[in-house]
Amino acid sequence: MQTFIQLVVDGLSTGSIYAALALAIVLVNQATGLINFAQGGIAVLSAYIAYQFTVWGLPLILAILASVVVSFFIGAFIERYLMRRFEKGDPDTAVVVTIGLLTLITGICAWIWSYNNLQFPSLFPLDTVTIFGAVVSVRSLGTIFVIVVIMLILQGLFLGTKLGLALRAVAINPESASFSGLKVGRLLMVGWGLAAALGAVAGAMVAPQLTLTPGMMDGALVYALAAVIIGGLSSPLGAVVAAWLIGVLENLAAVYVPFIGYDLRIAVPFILLFIVLILRPQGLFGRKVVVRV
Amino acid sequence: MTTATGILQRPWVRWAGLALGVILAIVLPLVFDAGTNSTLARIGVFAVAVLGLNVIMGYTGQVMLGQIFFVGLGAYITAYGVSQEWNIILVFILALALTALVGLVIALAAARLGGLAIAMVTIALPIVGVPLARRLGEFTGGSQGLSARFSGAPEWAPLYDDQWQLYLVLLIGGITFLLTRNLVRGKYGRAFAIVKENEAVAASMGISPYKYKVLAFTIAALIGGVSGFLYMVVIQYTSPETLSFGHSIELVISMVVGGAGSIVGSILGGAYYVLVPQLTNIIDPNLTAMLQGAILLLVLFLLPGGLVSLPRVIRRLVRRGDQGGGPGTRSQAATPQPVAASHPSTERKQDT
Repeated sequence: MQTFIQLVVDGLSTGSIYAALALAIVLVNQATGLINFAQGGIAVLSAYIAYQFTVWGLPLILAILASVVVSFFIGAFIERYLMRRFEKGDPDTAVVVTIGLLTLITGICAWIWSYNNLQFPSLFPLDTVTIFGAVVSVRSLGTIFVIVVIMLILQGLFLGTKLGLALRAVAINPESASFSGLKVGRLLMVGWGLAAALGAVAGAMVAPQLTLTPGMMDGALVYALAAVIIGGLSSPLGAVVAAWLIGVLENLAAVYVPFIGYDLRIAVPFILLFIVLILRPQGLFGRKVVVRV
Repeated sequence: MTTATGILQRPWVRWAGLALGVILAIVLPLVFDAGTNSTLARIGVFAVAVLGLNVIMGYTGQVMLGQIFFVGLGAYITAYGVSQEWNIILVFILALALTALVGLVIALAAARLGGLAIAMVTIALPIVGVPLARRLGEFTGGSQGLSARFSGAPEWAPLYDDQWQLYLVLLIGGITFLLTRNLVRGKYGRAFAIVKENEAVAASMGISPYKYKVLAFTIAALIGGVSGFLYMVVIQYTSPETLSFGHSIELVISMVVGGAGSIVGSILGGAYYVLVPQLTNIIDPNLTAMLQGAILLLVLFLLPGGLVSLPRVIRRLVRRGDQGGGPGTRSQAATPQPVAASHPSTERKQDT
């Protein structure tokens, strides 16, 4: 029982990291209808920027906040000067652009900071607390807490503010939105900026656990993509729940299913994905999209 | 200009060109040194892999990020069959049939999802494939990998190994290219194109997008199997590293840079896959990923059709330059272009 609780809490903690990336992907998808494969790369870049700020002597929490702000502008910049050209065209081309972007950003990180592992300090103390007999690290609890707060802010933003309403309007129908006087381009930039800022949070959370390398987020990105499909592309809540589900199930499967073990546990989200999609193609929390000719 | 293209379109010219190509393919491997031959053979291997990717992505418009998985699967089946000393023809058939079968099973599930979900399912293939290959050590040799030496020149042929291997690649790859070309130019190719253009329209015309997506996916996997077999012919060694995610992305980049939805573009893509990383590595290994990403984005910005569209783009620019001076050309040019604007005679005409 202790092991079980331990595994569940650890699973929720890693799941929270996938959730932060998944939220960023949902955000861009909701604003542009696009899957952004570069999201993991942007998060890595943000983590490196936060690292650089700490090297320059900023306290960790300020370094992370500064990298969140810088990342917002990087995201907005990418939308304005790169993605905008491809937004109206073939969506497949736009997806390939984000793949190129992923390669480019990873390459830039490798070029500036090299492929060597760097130590990134953790925001939370390395202490542990005991819950129901299981030893749980404060870092796990802190990560879970941060993600829940962000998810609530995002839900509030989308459902309770004018900006959120405008973002949703642009996503659903950019042309009508622009006829009603919304500045579509500006809103898309904000959407990308917010997504990059979220990615920065994910980067700062994941970097202490994995040590900082250019390819650090590749695995997390794949989990996040799986979470986004399982949760349904249109739902921030669904993405977070699915990410937690993946984190927990993966941990449990690694221990309780011998064939899977630690090296094959990355297959777990995809087995889950197949099951969910065959039963419910729009995802657990997603809306069904109707296509008209 | 027109006479030149007119001559190129005559049937006897095409046949002569084909014959010339075949003669070159037979003679050149005898002339080149071993290094060139093996580079050419590797280009052939990846040209076939890119060709398979083109069937599903270029022609049918489904983003596919796991093509390397099928290449690796074909390579592993070949290596295993050779290590069991099965007949090589049987190994070849198995490498194709099993890869196609796995492709079919995945496609049956993936094609249900539509759109970007296919991209996200296919991204899983190399990512799950690498630990799977390590885990199934009994068949795959685990992290050590498998090597198979079966492609040395036979004793009756007075050839070096590199020449024999290049001939095998040219023969098998050439047949694959020919069959694929016929496929995408025929009835199936038209159906693929309609599915790519608009799935809802395809469905309303009685063309089942699901059926054709599954078909294209399976053919892509099958061609990946051919490429995997050739991989073992040329490289003779495979390990989990063969099917890593990075290589899969590189294949997608190569396809786009060569030219999506193009037969010649597939060959250019294969050349890009083999040659450019070598070049960027010479400049600075730490820069390789950045240069690769930058090249892809530049191509998407400046040359969306890929390298294969370069002659067409140049021809268009040249033609605009030529016509700028002639009388009454302004009406013929559909769009205002910088080339014509800078042309002195055009400017003069506008002034008067």
